[in-house]
Amino acid sequence: MRWFRFAGLILLVMIVQASVLANLDRGPNLLLILLAFFCIYCDLDEAIITSFAIGFAADLSGASMPMGPQTLSFGLLGTALAHLRRVVNIRNMPSQALAIFAVALLAGAIAQFLAIFKGQAFTAQTWGILLGVAVYSGVVGPFLFLPSAWWMRVRPSRLAR
Amino acid sequence: MLFTWFLLAGLILFIAPAKWTSNLQFAFLRVFNWPLSLGQNISLSVGTREHLTNEESVSRTEHNQLKNYCANLEAKLAREQQRVETLSGLPNRSFLGNAKLVEALVYTSSIDKAKGEVSIDAGGSRELERGQFVLAENSIIGTISDVSPVGTRVKLLTSPSSNIAVEMGGVKRFMQGIGGNRAKIPMIKQQPEIGADVMAARSAGILSTPIIVGRVAGCERNAESAALWDIIVEPALDIDGLRDVVVIVMNPGN
Repeated sequence: MRWFRFAGLILLVMIVQASVLANLDRGPNLLLILLAFFCIYCDLDEAIITSFAIGFAADLSGASMPMGPQTLSFGLLGTALAHLRRVVNIRNMPSQALAIFAVALLAGAIAQFLAIFKGQAFTAQTWGILLGVAVYSGVVGPFLFLPSAWWMRVRPSRLAR
Repeated sequence: MLFTWFLLAGLILFIAPAKWTSNLQFAFLRVFNWPLSLGQNISLSVGTREHLTNEESVSRTEHNQLKNYCANLEAKLAREQQRVETLSGLPNRSFLGNAKLVEALVYTSSIDKAKGEVSIDAGGSRELERGQFVLAENSIIGTISDVSPVGTRVKLLTSPSSNIAVEMGGVKRFMQGIGGNRAKIPMIKQQPEIGADVMAARSAGILSTPIIVGRVAGCERNAESAALWDIIVEPALDIDGLRDVVVIVMNPGN
């Protein structure tokens, strides 16, 4: 695992997510896509570390939400996906899209639920935003796996699994 | 074990007070301010380009101009409302007909009772002309004597060079200023009562209705003819505390 490349990639995605994509309520969540990528193609320990790190990055760049909920939700679901990958092979793009959609929806719901304890309101519109983010992330995500794999120098044999 | 440690760290971050954790978010915004603002500008410019094709929307520059214009309009509206409150103190404003009232500020240091002059600031109004009547507290105090870009001079009715047509008891005469805050109506047949009203006479293009200028303060026998009276008139208004006046512009726009 190339941790410096990982840090640079996460930093770049944080800036893009917090600036260019910030005006889109229902746009793709690039950090969630990266979470799914690392959980699918990394070892269990690396998946756990990257899940919590990406969650922390999401908390840091999300100025409208308090810190903590996304760290926990990303960490929990990333670990769960890493364990699931050992049992279920996520080979093709439709499976990857489905995995991204499920992780995005569940991570968003858990984060919003935890945010209630920190004073954030949960409205009916929140469900629509969560669903929109999950759909867009599921559609766009698989296409971003290849450039991410190229950057992280992930071995081709892993991609074929 | 690794998962447990990270989960514990996440819980600590979750439980930590918001004022501590928000410092981390602000630190991120401060450190990466430039790339974040660059990305925001890209995002906004793309959005703006879409809106420009919509006939109902305007560019950000024009939006700012319109916003400033609205702020100026609101300030002007507040000022106009204040003027209305001042002018609405005039009773029976309708007696002035189609006259326009131009408000002007008095240069208090220019008040000269001896000479019977005062300077006013009409804000560069182009409708002021020589001979127009000047109103203050519902009475005429004088006429415009000189108009210039830097200010306007008003010749008070008590000025020795003032000579205006007045009405008193249905009789029209000319009233001359004699200085010392007084004016005189010479050669009147009947002695009027002390305190009787003296009104400025109607004049085509200048004044459409009589307006009070002063009151009879005394009567003297005329020096040339003992059968006639010289009426001494005092202004209806003491100009010492004068702050603002109104110029009557008859038939504005003509």
